[in-house]
Amino acid sequence: MSILDAKDDLTKFRAEIRTWLADVVPADWKARMARASNEEYIAGQRWWMAERRKVGLAVPHWPVEYGGAGLTLQHLIAIAGEMARADAPMARMFTISLIHLPGTLFPHGTEAQKRHYLAGVAKGDVWCQGFSEPNSGSDLASLRCRAVRDGDRYVVNGQKIWSSYSMYADHCILLTRTDPDAQKHRGITYFIMDMRAPGVEVRPIRQANGRAEFGEIFLTNVSIHAENMIGRENNGWRVAQATLASERGVIAFEGAERQRYEIEAFYHKALASGAAWLRDDQLRREFMGFLAEMQAGRRMLRRVLAESETPEASASVLPSLVKLSATVLRQRICSFMTRIAGVEGQDFALLAEEPFGSPMFDFLSAFSGTIAGGTNEIQRNIVAERGLGMPRV
Amino acid sequence: MATPIEIDQATLDALRESVDAVLAEKCDSTALHAFVDGKTALDQDLWTQAASLGWLGFGIPEEHGGLGLGLRGLAILHTELGRQAAPGPYIATLCAGHAIAARGTDAAKKTWLPRIAAGEIRAAIPASLSTSRSAGLTLSSTGVSGTLRCLGSPDSAFVLTPAGEVWVIVELTEAASAVVPMWDRTRETIDIRLQQAKPAAILEDASGIAAALLQAMTLAIAADSAGAARSITDRTIAYMKTRQQFGQPIAGFQALKHRAADLATRLAVMEEMVAHALHRAAADAPDADIWTSLAKAETTENFVFIATDCVQLHGGVGYTWDYDPHIFLKRARLNEILAMANPALRDRAAAALAAATRAGQSALELDV
Repeated sequence: MSILDAKDDLTKFRAEIRTWLADVVPADWKARMARASNEEYIAGQRWWMAERRKVGLAVPHWPVEYGGAGLTLQHLIAIAGEMARADAPMARMFTISLIHLPGTLFPHGTEAQKRHYLAGVAKGDVWCQGFSEPNSGSDLASLRCRAVRDGDRYVVNGQKIWSSYSMYADHCILLTRTDPDAQKHRGITYFIMDMRAPGVEVRPIRQANGRAEFGEIFLTNVSIHAENMIGRENNGWRVAQATLASERGVIAFEGAERQRYEIEAFYHKALASGAAWLRDDQLRREFMGFLAEMQAGRRMLRRVLAESETPEASASVLPSLVKLSATVLRQRICSFMTRIAGVEGQDFALLAEEPFGSPMFDFLSAFSGTIAGGTNEIQRNIVAERGLGMPRV
Repeated sequence: MATPIEIDQATLDALRESVDAVLAEKCDSTALHAFVDGKTALDQDLWTQAASLGWLGFGIPEEHGGLGLGLRGLAILHTELGRQAAPGPYIATLCAGHAIAARGTDAAKKTWLPRIAAGEIRAAIPASLSTSRSAGLTLSSTGVSGTLRCLGSPDSAFVLTPAGEVWVIVELTEAASAVVPMWDRTRETIDIRLQQAKPAAILEDASGIAAALLQAMTLAIAADSAGAARSITDRTIAYMKTRQQFGQPIAGFQALKHRAADLATRLAVMEEMVAHALHRAAADAPDADIWTSLAKAETTENFVFIATDCVQLHGGVGYTWDYDPHIFLKRARLNEILAMANPALRDRAAAALAAATRAGQSALELDV
């Protein structure tokens, strides 16, 4: 029986995924990734997507007519939960392809765009996001990357930044300024850009954690056909809201579930080996506090997911509350791990095989949570203004 | 356990709303201040109201005159009582009732539970359930003797307490209880002095009673803290929207918005900690004590943090007797030290986690 054949019985569906993961995930994948070059990492990502595709789990949440399996949110939760439990690889390089692109195209794309581009994702195309600019971070709507109409094409000049995996991307979802005289939210147009088009140049950005996952994109007279516009001209801000809302908490949910297993494995080892920190009153008590917060966070994420399918979802600040609590908790946990690891914890190492085996790497990587996807400061504005009704002045 | 397994969420929500509506009217800020200033007997009035509306029987089993909602009933009531910083001996009376219902003798259940559910009597319990045996009461063939600081009102009908190796129920007279004025005027502690008092009941299942009482207390205090912290934050933000400085409401300043957002984040986490602890305890899960212990420790410390910040966010008036924050801050400080010191609760959770892990069980299942 295949996994998808069991989709009408969630318990069986889960069991099938568990069996498949036990079979397909190599025991040493983390060890290999810990030593992997960029090229090997990319190859690993493509291998993992190919494995998922074989069992119909590449794009399980899409409608059947676009190559998906038409699964529900409950199925996605089951998949994410099992991936976490099995400590399976993450398809990080495909985040935009799997989540943000369909989240944008389903409500706003043309039929031709959906058919063409979603089919490409199902085959393994990598997408990146061209939203932020060096001078447009939290104030995204101030973006200046210029697109000028020229017949049935647009000519684009400008710069994009913090674009994850853009070095490996086939396509980009791109926000441009088409009307510089309009109010800033009203002069933005949304495009699909071919990353291999002449005039597109990507430079990787090395992060504080030593890796280079995102890149800076330089656009010089890049020509984009008008048929690759998503939505209408100057209506891109509205389309972008769909992109930003598309994540719906499933990635955060999987992240929190992964952290649960990571913490549990770490604790098991500490208990078995009689780790010194367990005998230190202050450290042991601090750790117990993390567990209480972690459980609270996992419950909140389940509420985010349940709420995501209701009409109230777009006005809710629960996702912002979750982001604030979960990302700061992650930072505190990784900080704790760095402190208890002693001087060995300062040894330079990237990905580690063991949970928190490279605590400085984890600690530094935790900033991706507090800064990316709308900084925590922006989340605080959202909570205060939309949630608590505090005035904008 | 007398806790029912399945309770309709809509029923619980309706109960919560009905309690909320009554308390919001009877125990608003004006009424609370009048009580704190000694001008009214709000505590007595609320108790009478609570009794007539059946609130005191929420957690008591149906066969003893209650609604049979167990810990869920306890949590609902204490969240709402906390929200209004309502005065009265609810924690002591209802947690004693819970412990007797869970691990008491049949005779003790029959004697005391219907009277608790009806609101006829109040009970006292030790303010601290610390594992140390150095202080407290002794039991000999002539009766129970010693002194003990208890949570509860001076007119408590009985005290449920450890005495030597067992737990006892001792009936109290007014002469045996001396009220101890506290900073938190919404709750009372008493010093009881017993000299060869004949216990009304001896409860041999000492560890069972102690665990049930601690579980009920930690949950009640955690729920109270979450409700109270939410309420003082709401009140503070409402004040910040009206207070003008530099020609604008101070709620418009980003530095203060971010502080308020951080309080809202803590509140969301606290409420889920209480919900998780309640969920595990109501299901009688083997890991329940881990989560009730941690919920009390975490929520009470967060309540202290939040109430402190609410004084500060009010500015000068926050430091006055006439505004609400000090009432909540004092309640927070009492909650923090009640039942068991927070470091000891975290150690208790750590020991339980280690035991579960060694037994090959995960304590991290959510089951929701």
